[in-house]
Amino acid sequence: MKKATFIIATLLIFCSFKADTKVVIPSGEKLVYAGSYNMSGLMTQLAQVTMSTETQNTSKNTYLHLNCELATFSKWDKFFKIRDIYEAYVNPTTLKPSLYKRSVDEGGYTKKEKYVFKGNSVTSTSKKRNNPETIRTFNIGASTLDVVSLLYKVRTIDFSKMKSGQTKSFTIVFDEKEIPVTLKYMGTESVSAGNLGQKECYKLSIGAKTNKLKGTDKNLIWLTADAKKVPALMKFSIPVGTGQLALTSATGI
Amino acid sequence: MRKALLILSFVFVILSIVFSILPFDTLALLPIGVALILIFITFKKSDTNQRKLVKWLFALTYICAIFVLGKTYLIKDEVEKDQQFEQQKIETKQEAKKELEDLEKDLEGLE
Repeated sequence: MKKATFIIATLLIFCSFKADTKVVIPSGEKLVYAGSYNMSGLMTQLAQVTMSTETQNTSKNTYLHLNCELATFSKWDKFFKIRDIYEAYVNPTTLKPSLYKRSVDEGGYTKKEKYVFKGNSVTSTSKKRNNPETIRTFNIGASTLDVVSLLYKVRTIDFSKMKSGQTKSFTIVFDEKEIPVTLKYMGTESVSAGNLGQKECYKLSIGAKTNKLKGTDKNLIWLTADAKKVPALMKFSIPVGTGQLALTSATGI
Repeated sequence: MRKALLILSFVFVILSIVFSILPFDTLALLPIGVALILIFITFKKSDTNQRKLVKWLFALTYICAIFVLGKTYLIKDEVEKDQQFEQQKIETKQEAKKELEDLEKDLEGLE
């Protein structure tokens, strides 16, 4: 069952527009979401998604560790336990990725991926279940990002100057290939943002040339229309259904 | 007709109970809703002296609905502390640090 992968992928794909590099994603930020899935017309809470940031130092550099975890609520664990981690190590200022890792454990289905970014090439290492590990090297565009860093990069964009209906095209790497992503700014709306209360938000629609997203303007993200641009709500439509991620708690922003 | 409706009502009441006990959250409201509709129709089709069982079925479904709504609104969804997952995160982070240092060496070699 790849629903959770689709959900995470959709969540992570939401992003981009040209970045304003003056805005910096803070280290120590923690955003917690309640993930719901539409089961026979009823939104059912399935999992908790936690997005956090942390500084990672090596002997020579400092990176920003962007971490995204998905864990099913305990009541579902006995039936279908999910523990997924999507993470990226990026330049703290430009958010350009150096390393992207994905560890999926969904009801027994396991997959591990690692992308190492070296200039305009990526070396990917992938291992599914008990299959042997595969290693590939492929070229990417200069501005291609991974899905996690892209999700954060979208928050550095100045939407206040954009007009409703304006679109932008971007490229991300997912499942060992580059995927073109189109984003559309759809104006502002008031949305409940967990402990932040009711917030005026930028509404964005995502379209990607992939079979993992369905419908037009059915994959949406609302970012708070302030300097923090916290993702307050995300709605997704994938081949196996629809769902949403609603912000429940935001700390360290 | 009444007998068929009664059997269907019975089946959906059983489903309602099962769905209510299992962690299906608001999904359990589906069989409960169908059961209530069937029970209502069966009730209307029944003579006054045939309504006792139907009333019992209604009571059971009603309890299921209260139970499901109670679980939904009163019990907070929580993620269990998973030691294995926590350990995995620590290990992944340590591996990442090493991988980043290897990458830095590679890039230094290219320059």
